[in-house]
This record gives sequence, C-alpha cells and structure tokens, in this order.
Amino acid sequence: MNDKFEPNIVAFLCNWCSYAGADLAGTSRIQYPANLNIIRVMCTGRVNPLFVLNAFQQGADGVLVSGCHPGDCHYMEGNYYARRRFTLMRELLEYVGVDPRRFHMSWVSASEGAKWKEVVEEVVENAKAVGPFDQFRRNKINW
Amino acid sequence: MVDLDKLRTVAKETVSRDDVKYLIGWSQGTFGYRVSPHFVKTPQEVDSLTFSPLCSNNLATYLTLTEKLPVPRGEEPDTRKVALMVKGCDSRAVVQQLIEQGITREQVYIIGCPCQGVVDLQKVDEKLGEGVEPAQASWENGQISFQLPDGKTEAFPREDVLADKCITCRYPNPVLSDILLWDEVEVWGSDDYEDVKELDSKSPEEKWAFWQDKFSSCIRCYSCRNVCPMCYCEDCILDRLNPTWMFRSNNVVENTAFQVARAFHLAGRCIECGECERVCPVDIPLMKINRKLYKEVREKYEFEPGLDPESKPLQASYRPDDEEDFIL
Amino acid sequence: MNNKPRIGVYVCHCGINIAKTVEIDPVTEYASQLPNVKVARNYSYMCSDPGQLLIREDIEKEGLNRIVVASCSPRMHELTFRKTLAEAGLNPYFLEMANIREQCSWVHEDVEEATAKARKLVASSVAKARLLEPLEEKEVDVEPATLVIGGGIAGIQAALDIANAGFKVYMVEKTPSVGGTMAQLDKTFPTLDCSACILTPKMVDVASHPNIELMTYSQVEEITGYVGNFEVKVRKKARYIDMEKCTGCGICAEECRLKNRIPSEFDVGVGKRSAVYLPFPQAVPAKYTVDPERCLFLTRGKCGESPKCADACPSQAFDFEQADEMVEFKVGAVIVATGFDVFDASRKPEYGYADYDNVLTALEMERLVSASGPTGGKIVLGKGDEAYTPKDIAFIKCVGSRDESVGNEYCSRGCCMYTAKLAHLVHEKIPDANVRIYYMDVRAFGKGFEEFYDRVRREGVRYIRGNPSEIFKRGDKLVIKVEDTLTAKALEDEVDLVVLAVGLEPRKDVREIIDLLRLSQSGDRFFLEAHPKLAPVDTATDGVYLAGCAQGPKDIPDTVAQAKGAASSALILLSSGKVKVQAQIAIVNEATCRSCGYCVEICPYGAIEMVEANRMGHIVSVARVNEALCKGCGACVAGCFSGSIQQKSFKDAQILPQLAVLGVK
Repeated sequence: MNDKFEPNIVAFLCNWCSYAGADLAGTSRIQYPANLNIIRVMCTGRVNPLFVLNAFQQGADGVLVSGCHPGDCHYMEGNYYARRRFTLMRELLEYVGVDPRRFHMSWVSASEGAKWKEVVEEVVENAKAVGPFDQFRRNKINW
Repeated sequence: MVDLDKLRTVAKETVSRDDVKYLIGWSQGTFGYRVSPHFVKTPQEVDSLTFSPLCSNNLATYLTLTEKLPVPRGEEPDTRKVALMVKGCDSRAVVQQLIEQGITREQVYIIGCPCQGVVDLQKVDEKLGEGVEPAQASWENGQISFQLPDGKTEAFPREDVLADKCITCRYPNPVLSDILLWDEVEVWGSDDYEDVKELDSKSPEEKWAFWQDKFSSCIRCYSCRNVCPMCYCEDCILDRLNPTWMFRSNNVVENTAFQVARAFHLAGRCIECGECERVCPVDIPLMKINRKLYKEVREKYEFEPGLDPESKPLQASYRPDDEEDFIL
Repeated sequence: MNNKPRIGVYVCHCGINIAKTVEIDPVTEYASQLPNVKVARNYSYMCSDPGQLLIREDIEKEGLNRIVVASCSPRMHELTFRKTLAEAGLNPYFLEMANIREQCSWVHEDVEEATAKARKLVASSVAKARLLEPLEEKEVDVEPATLVIGGGIAGIQAALDIANAGFKVYMVEKTPSVGGTMAQLDKTFPTLDCSACILTPKMVDVASHPNIELMTYSQVEEITGYVGNFEVKVRKKARYIDMEKCTGCGICAEECRLKNRIPSEFDVGVGKRSAVYLPFPQAVPAKYTVDPERCLFLTRGKCGESPKCADACPSQAFDFEQADEMVEFKVGAVIVATGFDVFDASRKPEYGYADYDNVLTALEMERLVSASGPTGGKIVLGKGDEAYTPKDIAFIKCVGSRDESVGNEYCSRGCCMYTAKLAHLVHEKIPDANVRIYYMDVRAFGKGFEEFYDRVRREGVRYIRGNPSEIFKRGDKLVIKVEDTLTAKALEDEVDLVVLAVGLEPRKDVREIIDLLRLSQSGDRFFLEAHPKLAPVDTATDGVYLAGCAQGPKDIPDTVAQAKGAASSALILLSSGKVKVQAQIAIVNEATCRSCGYCVEICPYGAIEMVEANRMGHIVSVARVNEALCKGCGACVAGCFSGSIQQKSFKDAQILPQLAVLGVK
C-alpha cells in the first residue's frame, strides 16, 4: 500500500470508560496518531451497528467502538449488548468482503490511557495496511 | 400424508367459529405452477384451498401485514383470531413473532401442515419449461409429480426440484400448532452450512467482488423486506428520510448498505423460510447472507430463533461470557 | 427561540495547552465558515469569567441559540458551560463541546495534523449542535436516609456524622461486630493512643444512636433504583441466638465443646475461640453468634446429648431453628466503607510465612503485643514448655506493596509507620531486644510521622536498607539473606522472629460490591473515585460515595477525614431533599414503535414498559419510558430496529451528521 496513505478512522467511545481513558492519555501526554476522531456516546450500548455502515459510506477507512471492560459498564449491561451486536455485525461485514482490519472493538477503562494509545496505533496500522476504502464511499458512485 | 379433504373439513370448521376472523391458506393460482395466498372468510370458500409442493408462500407475513390497515371511522377493530395454515418454517415465523410480541398467542389459530418440502420454481422451469397454464404438483413416494395442463404427468426425484432451503430443512413439522392436519413427516435434512463456509473461506477481495456483483443488480424493490414475516416495522428506517440512514438511490454502495443492514436486522430472527430469496426478481442469493448469520448465532450463542415462544430475543439478551476473541 | 440555529463557536487556547499544537486562528476562521455559525471567536481561557462572559454577551447581542466550545474534555467543563448558557437564558443542553485538548493538542505533536484534527472535531460538534434540542431537567425527592456498607472506623464515622445531622442511617456490617481492622490494633501511630480506647466509644455510639439502625452479621443482597431513591435488600444472617434475650454473659462459649479449638478471626489465628462466640470482648453489639460452619449441632445435627451451650444459657436465647431474615428499605445515598484485606504473606514464599511459626504478619504481631490479645500483651512464641521470648527480631517492610511480582505496584501508606510503632512496642516490652527493620524507603509523610521515626531510631531500632531475598531455618534461628544496599554487603542475619509488614489489598469479595452498585476499579483494583483530586469520595454512580480503604490504602486519620467527606457529600444530597434526574434520557415515538419489546428486555433499569395505544383504530402495545428510572445509556436505542426509541442529545439524527463530517478526508 501507499506509504503516504493516512487512514481516516471514526471511533465511538463510551463516556465513562474509554472516553475517560482517552482523556487520561491526554492528561498523561501520551502521543498517538491523529487519524482517529472520536464521537462520544454515553455507552457502547448506544452505538447502533448500522453506524458502522454509515461511517464507511461517509468515507471512513476504519471504525472503532470502545467501551468498558465486561462487568464494568456504568450502566451495568450496555457493553454486553454491544458485544453481541458488533460480533454479529463484524461477521457480516467480513462475509460481504469488508476486511476485518477495518472494524475493531476494544475495552479501554478510565485508567488505561496507555492501552488507549496501543489500541489507536493498532487500529490505524490495520487500516493503513488495507488501504483506502473507496469502494464503499458514497461520493464515489459506482453505478 | 397430505389429506386435502381433512384440510378442507378443518378449514370449514375453523372459519365457522365465532372467534375466527378469517383463515389464511393457499389456493391454486392462475399462472403456471404458482399458488396464491387465500383469505377464507366463509365456509363456502374452503374448496379452493390446497396444499402441495407449490405452497412456498410463508403466510405468517400476513399476521403483521394486514393489521396495518386502518380501522374505518366509527368501527371497532376486529380482534378475533386469524386462522393460519403453516408449514414447519412458517410456524417458526409465528413463534418468532410471538417472541417479539408482534402478535399474541390468542390472536392466532395455527393449523399445522407437516411438509415434505416445496419446489424451487426455477428448478422446475428448467425441467419443464416455463408454464403459463395452471398446473399442479404433489408429493409421491419420494418424488414430486407434476400434473401438467396438457394432462401429462411428470415426476422427478424430490432433491432435483426442492428449494435449497428445503433440502437442508430441519424443521419440516410445525413447531407450534393448535391442530395438526396429518401425521408428522420424518426429518430428512441436516445443515452444515457448506455454502456459507465455502464463501467464508475466500479472501476479502473475492467476497467483496462476489457480493458487489450480486448487489449491483439489486433494484431496491424492497420485495425481500416486504415478504419477510420478521420485517414488520410500521416505518422501515432503511428507506426513511429523517434521519437518512442510507440513500434510496439505486447504486451499489447504497444497495450494499441496504442489504447488510437488512441482514443485520434479521440476525437471530431469520427463521430460514427463504421467502426473500424466492421473491427477489434479480436472483440475489439472500439466504446465503441470512444463513451466515444464522450459522454464527447458532454456533456462538447456541440460539435458534422461532423455536421456543418463551425464549428471549437474541439481540435483546446477552451472556456475560459471550465470546469476544476479536475485541482488543 | 428554537427556530433557525444561530451557532456560536468558541475556541479555547487553554493558555498554551491547546495553542501550542493547534493553530487557533485558522480553526476559528474555519469554524466561522461552517453552516449556521454566526460567531466564531477564540480566547485564552474560555472557562475563566471573561471567557464565559464572552459567550453570554454573544448570546444576548447576536441572538445565538446554540453554543460550541472547543476546549478541554466535556468531562471537565461541560457543566461549567451549561451553567453559562443557563445564565444567559439559553437551555443548557444547547451546548456541544469539541475536545481539542485531551484528545488533540495533548496527544499529537505535529501542528499541522493537530490543527486539521481540531478543525474536524469542531465541524463535528457544529454538525451536532445544529440539531440539538432543549431538554428539561426534572427533580425527584430524595429519601432522607443513608446506607453505610461496612462498620469499620470509616463506616462508623460517616454513620455518626450523618445521624448527628438528623438523618436516618442504616449500617450493614458483614461480621458479628462493628469495629473493623482498627479494633484489632494495639496502639496507633504516631501518638501511641490505645486503639480500642478511642474506637470503642464510637462503636457504642453507633449502636445506641437513635438515628442509626445497626445490622451486624448482615449482607446487602440487592440495590436497585437511582440517586435519591435506592431500594436496598439486606440479609440478616441467622445467629441462632435471640438478640433480644442474649445478655452477652458468655457462659455458652465456656460450655462449647469446641472451646479454644477454632482459630479466632479477630486474633488472626493467634488466639482461639468457641463455635459460639463474641469476636472480641468489646464487640458491639455484645451478643453471641453461632458459627454455622463450625457448630457441631448445626453441621452434624448432633452435639452430644444436646448442645451444652443452649442448655447452659441462663436466658434461653438459643434458637437453632432461626432462619435468615430479609429486610428491605429505601435510602437516598449509599456510602461504601468496605475496607481492605491484608496481603496474604504466603504469596511471597521466599519469606517462609507458611513454613515457619516464627514468621508473623504485622497484624498477628499487633494481636501479640495487644494487652487484650491472646497472650495478654506478652510477646511470647511457642507453646507450653517451649515458650520463649524472642530477642533478635527483624521486620521486613513492603511485603505485598510496591511489588509488581504480586501485582501491587502501589505503596500501602501505613506500613512504614506501623512498623516503627511495633518496633517501639517491642522495645517497650522486651527492653533488651535487638530490633532491625529491613526497608526499601522510609516514608514518614504525615503529621508527627518523621518525629516518631526519629524517636524509634533513637530508641535503638536499626534500619537496614535492603530487600531480603530469602528466609530459611538454621538450628533454632531464622536466617535472613539480604544485601545491605547502602554498604553493598551481603548479610546473613540470624533472628528469633520475623515480622512481615504486609500491605493492604482490595477485599477478596470486592466483586460483590461492584455487582451491587456498578462501581469501577482503578488500576490498583481499589474502587475508582469520580475524580482523583476533585471528587475523591464520589463515584461515577450518583449518590454513592466512598470512605476509607475501600478507595485505596489509608491510615486512620485519612480514613476518618474521608469518611467525614463522604458523610458531608451524602448530607448535601439529603438536606437539599431534591435531586435532578437525567435529562438526556430515552423517548419513544409511539407512532412507529413496532411493539417488539426489545427495549423492555434490554433496559438494565426496568425503565421501559409496554402500554396500550390506539393506532388507526387498532389497540397496539407500545413502549413507554419512565423518566425517573431512565439513566440515559441508550442501549435500548441501538436495539430498536425501527429507530422509534431515541436518546435525547444522542439521537440518530444528531449522530449521523457527525459521521458525515468525520468521514470527509
């Protein structure tokens, strides 16, 4: 792949664990790639799996959903529902030919600023390895 | 064995009941091998009812579809039961609707028709040519026999003309019924999802190419959605404008998004009746995608939809130890 | 008011925190070009008074009706700016923040990249802000009562403070008596007050306070509800003794066939008890308890002819048929003061704790030197004829603390000083003893600590810097292998007694509390506070507060201070009598609801129910949200196939435009 390709990643983070973990990475001045933009939701349970499709259509090269570790959900169960939904969505995407390296899910707690950096790096590297996802982009219409 | 006299007797008794609004069954169609859904309101109409290898239609769709008609002003809604004839797969649709509270058990009277498999009309057309005049078919000793308009009879081994979903069918007998019309049939099918595994083993590029080829021909007629007994939303978000989840414009990107979203909404809900694939005018192998999720749900969560009316919906439940190998 | 969006965008420099890596002017200029943006400004500190004034003035002069602040994390200042909007007469939920500090300027070095990302984040916030809707903050009444879980010094102090302020307290303690670990200590550092002497009056106060309902030997089984309105279920375990009748005379324990055969929990195994027991003489309540796991009658159904304890009881208090009792009550706030476990020294096998009788933990030593302990305060090892008084005594510090190999990186904060205290007590009781302390560092940070440490050294205690590698037996002596790191000399030190200064660990049953209250753990596995500096007693769950070592290792003064803090936080809630409920809750569009009930199944709070509705003449069941119960997680929203249930401020219609902006390369 093109070395200069900088993937565009959209991430959904739960307010209580992963968003706080990403904040902690900031407070700790941990440096990581700038390819990822975060949308804050209150819980991964809020993230509709169809958002992933929409993100790809809108031009994302990769999508990340990150929440609390199992058992730690601020709302008790949201991440469990998310885990089922995204397990299925991921299988489905892979089946229709979306490279699994484009979609990731992670558990990052409020105290795991360092893990957040590792997750971002892995997600970005993966998306770099597969290259731009123009085939699924809305503005590049393939009649 | 199929007993049409019994079927009509039961139908007659059923529509005569005060607490039954109407009965939905199958009757001989007017074109080729086609059978049409038949809404029976009076005992006089029952003679046109039939049951044969041509009865593909999953009538459970009408349980949720007809109720969408508005009640005329000043009238009370008719809350009497709907009597419904079901094959094995159709009964699972009813059960899944019960799980999802799309209907209540009191609202439906289920007439079970143990089924030996229905034909795939495309396979039949290949063998007999596309018929125009009405023709009939029946199960006979492991064969399916066709009574053609010219009076001739042709018989083929079942597996040659059965729909693919019937070849692998594990539930030919209704899983839930108020009355069973004849003896249950022996289960012949087993399913190891070879077709899904075969596609799964390919590279992302090959899979993408395969589906892009299929989805590019989608004309977004929404037949697959409309025929599906599980797609009963008042207002489908996939063609809603506010908010716009996906454009209605017909191009492969939007078609892909539509088909993926449609399949996702059926995860843990699709009962493999195959109606979507049957009605697709452009022959998209929709069951291939539905079956992928069916397989994953069965393997990962040991769950099969449409079997137990008391079960919790898959997408509204979880186990703390659900697998999560892919999660970072 | 809520007509066309007129958005104001405010980009914060945060001194140089943001401005150093994000070029503020281009971002501001870019923001001003975005659709519906009427004003775009930047300022050095948006959160400062002049910064907020800027927003308020613009709302008035420019008629702004949506505000985007691009600054730090919304977790930091969202409430600040919501207040700003409210002060200017704008609904506080017309605010959207772009996090360009924690998630941009602080994590990226490249100015160009960071600036580009900041632009995108601002655009995403503007896209959402255009579609924000005003939300109403509702209030519910607060139940004027508090649940305190744990009856150690933290729980006791919090309970007394709240009760003294005039509010009801339910205190639930797992063991038969309040007192906790502090009751087991002999003296307290650095003042050498007798621990029991200062604690027992408070224990008695708890039991006798008219506002405190004390439930010992009880466990919280379930907590449901939300801030201000928690419903609590407590299991009062059967004591097999009628609390009303028991006078605490102790005749039963004297008669028990298992007398002096069961290791006493209170004396950490150094002393023994009966199967019917009072944990320690000053226990509160002073009522006996039958140990159901040890009692012969309860485990085997037979104890001689008949249980001697029951026969001997002068007040006929025994009731072997007694069953657990479930109690339910409502509280407005919960204080978690569940304390800690001491580190299990057998996890450091090199110190031979499991192998040698003369290797003790500090808590065992504490019981040994205590006047109320099994030896009456004499430091004697061995039994009967073999009893001896140790002369060469070594302490080893940081056992199970500051030790990655056992998973505890943290300092347990108390060990340095309790070691000094125990060393002092040893000297007091055995004046000719040779006491040495093996240490990594001495952390004498508190009031009077350094002075006490000096005093102990002057008394002749030797501090040797080194982390022992091994302890083994040679003849009658224990040999400590260690390198004195100040002289770089390898030593083999022969001693009679080794005391391990074990650290503090989260309780083994910490999971029970996590499951009850949905608390989070920090990296050290203690409970996570809402903010390490600014909200050290709060948790992420509103109305639930932390006190004492449950939140992290602490000494007694810090524990008491935090307990008072937690009590004060709970009192703020109780005395205001009202609490605002979530505004960003779920709402159902009944016209499109497909009746499937998935949301009802999904909701972790039971906040959604199906109700009947008329749709075009048909009676259909549709979902409806109970606004007081909804916590605003949105799990139902993503589970709704028809998009009929939406979370306010996080609607599909508000998130999809964000995706559209972020997708652009």
